[in-house]
Order: sequence, then C-alpha cells, then structure tokens
Amino acid sequence: MKTIHKIFIAGLMFFITGGIIVSCSSTKDTYTAATDVEEEFKIEKSGAQLWGEACNRCHLAPSPADYNDTDWSTISLHMRVRANLTEKEITKIETFLKSAN
Amino acid sequence: MKKLFILTMIVGIGHISYGQTYNDFETDSTSTSQPFTPSKTQFMIRGYGHTGLNFMNSEGEKESSYVGSAFAPIFLFKHSDRLMFEAELEFVLENNELEVGLEYADVMYVLNKNMTVRAGKFLLPFGTFMERLHPAWINRLPTRPLGFGHDGIAPSSGIGIELRGAFDLGGPKLNYSVYSTNGPRLKDGSEEPEEAGMLLFQNFEDNNNSKAFGGRLGILPFADSSTEFGFSAYSTNGVGETDSEYEDVGAFLYAIDFSFVKQVPAIGGFIDIKGQYNNSNIDDATYIEIEDDVEEEYTFDNKSNSFYTQLSYRPTMAESDFLKKLELVGRYSNYNAPEGAEWEEQSEQYAFGLNYWLTWRSVIKVAYQTTDSVGGHDGGGTVNGFYIHWAIGF
Ligand code: HEC
Repeated sequence: MKTIHKIFIAGLMFFITGGIIVSCSSTKDTYTAATDVEEEFKIEKSGAQLWGEACNRCHLAPSPADYNDTDWSTISLHMRVRANLTEKEITKIETFLKSAN
Repeated sequence: MKKLFILTMIVGIGHISYGQTYNDFETDSTSTSQPFTPSKTQFMIRGYGHTGLNFMNSEGEKESSYVGSAFAPIFLFKHSDRLMFEAELEFVLENNELEVGLEYADVMYVLNKNMTVRAGKFLLPFGTFMERLHPAWINRLPTRPLGFGHDGIAPSSGIGIELRGAFDLGGPKLNYSVYSTNGPRLKDGSEEPEEAGMLLFQNFEDNNNSKAFGGRLGILPFADSSTEFGFSAYSTNGVGETDSEYEDVGAFLYAIDFSFVKQVPAIGGFIDIKGQYNNSNIDDATYIEIEDDVEEEYTFDNKSNSFYTQLSYRPTMAESDFLKKLELVGRYSNYNAPEGAEWEEQSEQYAFGLNYWLTWRSVIKVAYQTTDSVGGHDGGGTVNGFYIHWAIGF
C-alpha cells in the first residue's frame, strides 16, 4: 500500500514537471508556425465541424443562435477549462459560434 | 410611515439626479456612430433545475411523491480572457427540509495554451460522471448510477488546487488534471457505528496534515473526438484524525472511464456510450461494535467497487420532427461494499428510459429502474421505481 503511494506520487511529480517543461517551452511563435505548416499540407477541420464533434461529447451541442458574442466568450472560456479542450479546438469553435449567431 | 416616505423621496430624487448627471447622449443607445464594444468583464447567471414524480415499490410497499424541486444557480464571472470565477449553489428539498449546498466555487487562470490552474472548491475529475455528467440536464436518466451520490465511494468535489490542460497531438488529443485537496475523513464509527470504515469526502477543514493527491489522464485517440479513455487515481496517506489510532490509515482509489459519442448515418442518429469503474481500497483498521452493551473489536478488508455503463440513442436523422427529439437510454450499474463491514452490500441495478428533448438543455425523462440488493442500509431486497422528470438548464 505505502509503496503504491510513493510510486503514485513520484509519477505525479514527474508528470507535473514534464507538463510544465513541455508547455512552457512551446512558445507562441513556434505554435503558429506549426499550424501554418499543418494548414499547408492537410485539410484543416472547420470550426463548424469541431463544434459538431466536440460539443456533443457531454451534452447536446447548443446552436450558435442560443447566445450572443459576449456570452459565447464567457462560455468558451468556461468550457475550455471544464471540458479540457485544446486551445486550437476552442479558438476555432468560438470563432464559428460568433460568426453564425 | 413618515420616515419611509422621506426615504422613498430621497431614493427617488437621488435616482433622478444620478440619471441626469450621468446621462450622456453620446453613448446613448440611439446613437449609432459608435460601434458596440463588449466589455472584457462579463457576468453570467445560469444554472439548472429539475422536478418530477416518483413511484416507488420496495418489496410491496408502495409510495409516490412529487420530488426533485432542485434549483442550482451558477455564477460565471469572466474577468479577462484568462481569468474566471465559477460558483454553483444548490437548493434541494430533502427529508422535509431545504438543504443548501455550495457545489463548487473556484477561480481559474489560463497559464498558457496547455495549462490552467484552478483553486477553491471544485468538482474532482475522478472519472467523468461527477464532473461532467451529473447535472440533471446532462444526465440521461433521472437517477445516478450506483456508487455515486450520498454513500458513494467516488469523491465528487474537493477543496484545493489543480493544474489541468490539454495537448493537441495532431489528431489525437490528450488531456490531464493533477490536484491536491484536503483529504477525506474516515468515519471511525464513534458517531454512526453502522458506517464505520467509510470515507467522508466532504472535508471543509482538514482533520490532519496529510492531503489527498489525485489526477486524471484522458486520451482521445481519434481525430473526430468520438472516443475517450480516462484513468484517474486519488490517494492519501492518512484519513484519520491526527493523534488518533486511525491517523495512519491510508486510502487509494482509482477509476477508469470510457466515452463514445458519434452520429452514425447507418443507424440514422447519435449513439452515446458512457461507462466508469470505481475502486476504493482503504487500509485495514479495527473498529468497535457494541452488541448487548459489550464492546467488540472487529476488522474487515476495506475494499469497495462500483461500475456503470450506459447506452443511449437519438434518431437525429429521422424524417419526423417528433422522432428526432426522442432518445432511448439503458443503463446497468452495480456496487459492492466490503464483506464484514456494517455497511456490507451487493447491489445491481437496471434502468431504462425514454426522453423527449424540448431543446438542447431541457428534457422530459420517463424511466423505469429496478435495483436488487443484499445488505445495505435498508437490509436489501428489490426496489422498483418509475419516474417522470423534467430537467431544464438555463
Ligand atoms: C467534457 C464535457 C463537455 C464538453 C466536451 C462540452 N461541455 Fe459544455 N458543459 C459541460 C458541463 C458539465 C456543463 C455544466 C456546467 C455546470 O453546470 O457546472 C456545461 C455547460 C455548458 C453551457 C451552459 C453555460 C455554461 O458555461 O455553463 C454551454 C452553453 C455549453 N456547455 C456549451 C458547450 C460548447 C459550445 C461546447 C463545445 C466547445 C461544450 N459545451 C463542450 C460539459 C461539457
């Protein structure tokens, strides 16, 4: 039992440190560059498609017309954190929701 | 009376003069010259409620009741594009009393594209049911699966700090959460002997120095986000009171969850499969039982587990508008509490439901549920229930 704890906590620490290093080392610049490259070589999913896929996972997806732009920014930040969505997903979905309401 | 009148006058006049002082026609809504720029600070009140009618039949004893009447307002306060506060209050009518609870109240800050920090009282990502699926307008059935809720073995919320985030692996996605909270408290039986050995997760002030550590790792292996596997763990070195004989009793819990949601044209609609397995392992300890005024010591292997899986189907591609809004759902769940404990129990439950979705977050649920148990609070037996509920999110 006690060893399980130690292994678990060691794993956790490793994961946190790893997470911090990885996330801090990827700067905004390289991120944009990577997306550009990706956009060039494969067809990117649209915000509308991501909305249809990601927003139905837990509850039925709301339609863009349900809220105004102001509310969508609040909801997007809330869902980004609560649903652990990637930055790319939520940015695209938010843009789609605001453009289609 | 006179005082009230004067007070009203003051408020009234004050109001008018305030209005005139600050009424600046430049920003009046009739002027169209300035485009509307939303403020960065935003406040939203939302939440959910549900109500319904339950018919219960427990070993021939029939009972029916209008129930639920739960109202849960949620306050969202977005301070900037990175900083946000969320809180949920819950008002429930239970046992002829109004119970008020603070479901969660936490502040979150987006540190960078892969990491957010949360602090306060938050729902724990131990599996997915409590964090993501329990609100009445999300849960496809009017009841919770066995193992969650009051005497549940899975922690639902905690006070502490958490780091969470997600990584885009160019198609597949990975999300994580690691946290530390006030650990659970061990019920040593001094107050409720029949619950000796259970964990109490509601711990607003910690009873010892050992905290709980936990986390969840979620993997979405496909680019269409249809499938997610999750692994959660929760561990603490001490659940007993400092300086008590239970101080060093530790606990290790883990959960495995699964989710699959996809619109499948071949069957003309959305298919939604969810599942979660919880396992709790608390170090053995000695408890005291009083029988005929004689104190007797006893111990047991303190291991519990529970499991549920749910399948639902919505014919969203049907021709008829009525059919499109229907949903069929079935769920199986079971719960096993340790042998030898005063709360020893083995239960199995089947639930079936038919839902009608008025909107994306308002649903009428009709369900039938049957639970078979051996042991437990009410001594076991079969309980059948029929429910008609209406849940609404706003
Ligand atoms: C991982 C599960 C999950 C996913 C994926 C998800 N949501 Fe949610 N959503 C929730 C939960 C849980 C709540 C309820 C929050 C509460 O009541 O505490 C919620 C609430 C909401 C609400 C009500 C307002 C609010 O912010 O609480 C809206 C609107 C919403 N979601 C929109 C979306 C959109 C748009 C997406 C797609 C980007 C999405 N959700 C994806 C779980 C999810």
